[in-house]
Amino acid sequence: MEAEAARNAKETLELAFQISNILETGLDRHTLSLLIALLDRGVNPEALAALVRELSPPRQSSCAPIPPVTAPRQP
Amino acid sequence: MDDPQTSALLRELVLRLLPAGSPFSPDAALRYARRLLSSRLLSPSSLPADETSLSDSIKRQLALSGRTSAALAFSDLLHKLSMLSGPGSLRHRPALLLLLKSLSDHPASCVLPSLPLPASKKTAVQSTAGGVGGVLMLSKDPDNIREIALREYSDLAIEDAEIDEQTLVRDVLYAAQGIDGRFVRFDPRSDGYDLPETMRVPRSMRTMVRRLCELGWLFKKVRGFVSENMGQLAAAEVGTVAQAFCSALQDELSDYYKLLAVLESQALNPIPSTGSSSGDLRNYLSLRRLAVWLAEPMVRMRLMAVLVDGCKDLRGGAMAGAIHGHAQHGDPLVQEFMGRLLRRVCSPLFEMVRSWVLEGELEDLFSEFFILSQPVKAESLWREGYRIQTSMLPSFISQTLAQRILRTGKSINFLRVCCEDNGWADAAAEAAAHVGTTTRRGGLGYGETDALEALVVEAAKRIDRHLMDVIHKRYRFKDHCLAIKRYLLLGQGDFVQYLMDIVGPELSGPANTISSFQLAGLLETAIRASNAQYDDRDILDRLKVKMMEHGDGDRGWDVFSLEYDAMVPLDTVFTASVMKKYLRIFNYLWKLKRVEHALIRVWKTMKPNCIASCIFAKEGMGVKVQFVSVLRRCQVLWNEMNHFVTNFQYYIMFEVLEVSWARFSEEMDVTKDMDGLLAAHEKYLSSIMEKSLLGEKSQGIVRTLFALFDLILRFRSHAEMWFERIYELQIRGRGKSRSKAKDEFSKTNSWLEGGRKAMMQLAGEFIQKMGEDLDKIAADQLYPTK
Repeated sequence: MEAEAARNAKETLELAFQISNILETGLDRHTLSLLIALLDRGVNPEALAALVRELSPPRQSSCAPIPPVTAPRQP
Repeated sequence: MDDPQTSALLRELVLRLLPAGSPFSPDAALRYARRLLSSRLLSPSSLPADETSLSDSIKRQLALSGRTSAALAFSDLLHKLSMLSGPGSLRHRPALLLLLKSLSDHPASCVLPSLPLPASKKTAVQSTAGGVGGVLMLSKDPDNIREIALREYSDLAIEDAEIDEQTLVRDVLYAAQGIDGRFVRFDPRSDGYDLPETMRVPRSMRTMVRRLCELGWLFKKVRGFVSENMGQLAAAEVGTVAQAFCSALQDELSDYYKLLAVLESQALNPIPSTGSSSGDLRNYLSLRRLAVWLAEPMVRMRLMAVLVDGCKDLRGGAMAGAIHGHAQHGDPLVQEFMGRLLRRVCSPLFEMVRSWVLEGELEDLFSEFFILSQPVKAESLWREGYRIQTSMLPSFISQTLAQRILRTGKSINFLRVCCEDNGWADAAAEAAAHVGTTTRRGGLGYGETDALEALVVEAAKRIDRHLMDVIHKRYRFKDHCLAIKRYLLLGQGDFVQYLMDIVGPELSGPANTISSFQLAGLLETAIRASNAQYDDRDILDRLKVKMMEHGDGDRGWDVFSLEYDAMVPLDTVFTASVMKKYLRIFNYLWKLKRVEHALIRVWKTMKPNCIASCIFAKEGMGVKVQFVSVLRRCQVLWNEMNHFVTNFQYYIMFEVLEVSWARFSEEMDVTKDMDGLLAAHEKYLSSIMEKSLLGEKSQGIVRTLFALFDLILRFRSHAEMWFERIYELQIRGRGKSRSKAKDEFSKTNSWLEGGRKAMMQLAGEFIQKMGEDLDKIAADQLYPTK
């Protein structure tokens, strides 16, 4: 059972990694595994995504080259 | 964050994610992470956590950016992922997809707008080292402040001044349901939906919005009508047709709601608009697309509003007629729509027609049907019980059809009430079976006017036939008519003769001394004495003597009449006014007969016989000549009178009465329904009256006629008196001459002379008077005075 579980987990991770590559999220395998583990524990995926966005280093993308300012307005 | 394992994982994640050169301490970052995760963040553009829609939107996104191979690979991978199951696999696939999607949507450099930060700074400032209370700030270049400020300002300006199309679309959708949207409001002054003037919206958009909001205006009108009627429903002022109309409108409106719901769901779904260079996605529904979608509902809604306007004050059949008027349209869409609507609206009407035609029942609580009933006595049921109310007659039912419908129902009611006959139910069922519908409800609908017509015609035919059967066989209409002709119109000659003989002396007295019981007894005697006794007892029972109203000085002759008692149902034909007419004719004929009778009586005394010829045989020549001349003139007069009376009577009896009867008889056999029968009888009576000079045009002649009759009767009385005197004289003379001598002869002679002179005088006066009267009559004829 353990072997099967481990194999399942590995396959899942592999697929997820490929999906994440297609979607160009910039995550590596280790981070992705951590995220999956957190998701499995029931963390809100949106919040997690926000966290990742906040904490990760700025990437090369089509956005403005200057890192933007924090949101000044209260909704 | 609950369990230690989760927090351990989190810590590791944070450590991994933090960039190397970040100023934050791991602890600060960890605290921030915890706060973030517990804040249950949801961005405004969140999509439902439904796996298929998620995967679809991801694929779409990939496809739009031109990476179709990637999209295929993605679906492949997803498929493989879904095959994996069991321990160690993902528990929440959608969660992962959501995560990855949001990560790809918003790359890490974007701003998190709704996070409440403990200390917010308006402008870009240098980050303070060490993290002030966990504020997330990234270091900034002071040189770029201006650029940032500019960008911010332009964002502000655009967002404030322009309403994006999506909001407009949503507002229009709200307006189409009669609800005020965020910007599009109902303006009671201009009676329409519009954007306020302050909004800066491109003109094309404004016109488009206005055009689309017409739908909302129409919708309001229609819905207002429906709810108004529903509100009055409790007050029971709204008829069945109006109710049917409202329910049909409500069905249409619910279809319309369905369409709007679909459109609304489409409005939320983003799909690409081809060739857009900017990165943000437009919504599926633009105003143009909305216009295309709403074109057909607009046509329908306009139709409904027009109908609502047209039917505001109408009810019942009039409403159905008005709606039918609008249905005369060439467009097949309109025709189909109106057909649906009309089928529902006219179903109560058709139901009413069906039940009226097949059962004679009028279930009309709100007086919407075009047949009105009035409570009347049984004998006027046919003529006045029911009539057509043309204001409620719908335009697709023609007048002849309406007449037939009326007649059929009337016949059923007539049969039921007056004839106490129940055989019509079979006839009705037969008719229905023949046409193919049933006698139950709901057999007919609008658009099947032909079927309705066929049903009505069949039912009418059968019911009429049944009615005629009943009238002729059970109630022996023809026999009664014949009896009236024989007795009231003096067709039975011997009976009339006997009657006159017997009743004559009675009637010569003044009117108020005559008792009708005695006359009734005399009538019976006359009946028994003549051939009339072989007639049907039922008919003879109905024959009665009637004494009319008399004033002072009326003789019995003036007030005597016979009457015939017709009971239900025949008294629909023989109404009181009809019987009055018969009475008038009877009086007229009775007078005529009386004159004839008088003349014949006079003839008995006047005819040349030996008694008269040997009168005054002993007298001198002169006297004899005088007498003879008087006698001759009397005879001539009598002859003329007799000639006149005979011919006149012949004319009336044969030319008028018999001929009219023959024609009436024929028509009676031919006619198929009660109306025809009534008409034939009317014609019969009126022709009799006209031809026997009782009509309007012959008033003058009739007066002359009556004057002549009077004259004849006076002649009769004078002649009788005169001849009586002659006989007296003769008897006295003969008696005298037998016993007496010659000396007495002179006495008798002188007496005779005296008597003779008196008689001569009398006769002379009489004849002179007669001449005068006749001259006057002739003068009247030549120069008729009104």
